[in-house]
Amino acid sequence: MSASETAIARPASRRLARSKERMERLMFLVPAGVYLVALTIFPFVYSVYLSLHQAKLTKLHRMRFIGFDNYAELFTDSLFLDACRNIAVLTVSSITVEILIGFFAAKVFFSLRETRVGAVLRSASIVPMMITPICIGLIFSYIFNPNLGIANFLLGEIGISPLGWFSDPSLALATVILINSWQWTPFMMLLMLAGLMSIPAEQYEAAEIEGAKWYHIAAWIEIPAIRGIVLVGIILRVIDNLRLFDIVYVTTRGGPGSSTEIVTFFAYKQDFQYFQVGYGSAAAVVILFASVIITAITVKYLRSAEDD
Amino acid sequence: MTRRTRSTILPLIGALIITLIFVAPMVWMFLASFKTVSGIFSIPPQWVPDFTYTDNYVTMLKDDWPYLLNSVIVTVGATILCVVLALPAAFGLTNFRFRGRNFLADWILSTRMMPPIAAGVPLYMVFNGFGMLDSIWALIIVYAGFNIPFAVWVAMSFFRRVPRELIEAAQLEGCSWTQTFLKVALPVSKSGIATVATFVFIFAWNELLMALFLTTRAAKTFPVVISSYVTTGNTFWELVAAASVIQAIPPIIFTLIMQRHIVSGLTMGAVKD
Repeated sequence: MSASETAIARPASRRLARSKERMERLMFLVPAGVYLVALTIFPFVYSVYLSLHQAKLTKLHRMRFIGFDNYAELFTDSLFLDACRNIAVLTVSSITVEILIGFFAAKVFFSLRETRVGAVLRSASIVPMMITPICIGLIFSYIFNPNLGIANFLLGEIGISPLGWFSDPSLALATVILINSWQWTPFMMLLMLAGLMSIPAEQYEAAEIEGAKWYHIAAWIEIPAIRGIVLVGIILRVIDNLRLFDIVYVTTRGGPGSSTEIVTFFAYKQDFQYFQVGYGSAAAVVILFASVIITAITVKYLRSAEDD
Repeated sequence: MTRRTRSTILPLIGALIITLIFVAPMVWMFLASFKTVSGIFSIPPQWVPDFTYTDNYVTMLKDDWPYLLNSVIVTVGATILCVVLALPAAFGLTNFRFRGRNFLADWILSTRMMPPIAAGVPLYMVFNGFGMLDSIWALIIVYAGFNIPFAVWVAMSFFRRVPRELIEAAQLEGCSWTQTFLKVALPVSKSGIATVATFVFIFAWNELLMALFLTTRAAKTFPVVISSYVTTGNTFWELVAAASVIQAIPPIIFTLIMQRHIVSGLTMGAVKD
């Protein structure tokens, strides 16, 4: 092989090597990417498409384009509006309860952080958030059974007349909120505990020297220190609440009346009980946009809070 | 009483009350699983059941073990598929420099916001077209896919912790990216991989919505079966209790072993604990 030939051959082989490396790199990203497009982008685009049609699951070959009529109908459908209101109430109150009780619990476990018993109790109390939601729903259906459940029995022991936890329209949503917050308070507790652990001990010592009371410490040291972490928790909990389904499916099925109707359950019923997939898809698209908008706002707020 | 004991005694009482609140409902269901139908709803409540009474478990498992098996197969299959797809992607996103890298990472994260209900009808139709309704394969595919965003994000957070020098050294030694990934990055990230895999396992194990409409008989998963014990006329509480206890075993084991990783896991690495 002459010198001139190698000079020409080398860049070519290098180019070959580089394109081979590019191929190799692509193979890391392409499978997951294609998979995600197929499983999330495609269904989403198709849902939007369906939502613009009058479509019945059993007669999909006879779809009719109706533009935004489904959306127009949704926002005059009192059941859907109830579902929106319920999910808003449920999300805000659950997260509030989770933060308040979670903070208290985090403080308690923070003061026991170096004890063995504290660690054991903490691991036991975070189990609810990993338990299958369907089981959580059933556990509480059992406990809140109107005539024979332990909750009403215990209320009776202290002289309170039995409550219709799930059957009383004015109480049913509160019961669902109670169950939902019961399951997720441990999550907020863990987040805040991680935040408290990140506070340097000197800050506490300095505050103690200056004679700060517990509420001074909470307001000036602890709450600022955990604010960022709690915001992350709030975003995640909002997204999760908007897609809440299992607990309602197993406890109240949206009733009594529309008192515990929520948007995912509404969409589910339209799709798979009435087979009105165009209408159901419109409801699902509304949830998706709500999640995106709420997340965007919260993330923006989070960023500006971090810049302070 | 010393100052030290006094300063822990109040928090200890608080911790006991908190733990009781979060554990007692589960314990109550556990106790119910050993009661007869009349014992489950006796007034006053039967506080301590006869633990040798295991008929509920026997009856429940005799009828429903195929569905329990479905759940195990679907969950294990989905976990493996998800991890196999997500780990290389996470490695690529943390180690390759290319245009649009951040955009790609953000897009992957954003797909987690999609409510599963929005994917329900389209996926139902696709699987219907392929004749795959009521097949455990459909569930494996869906559960793996739904957990990819989460798995990629958590995996990125631990691949970022692999020392840069280690990756560079492997490259200088002439390792291809595949070799670097398999021989360097994976072995040093073992505990992170275990975290991702167990989370995906639990998410798939708990899933109800997709299983409700993608399965009818043969491929039903355990959560679907449990929910079917609740009928408008009657609820078979003795079976519900036994099934709930069995369904809860993997999550409980997982929580006790992995509790240190739960915060960073559930927040997808956004918060370090």
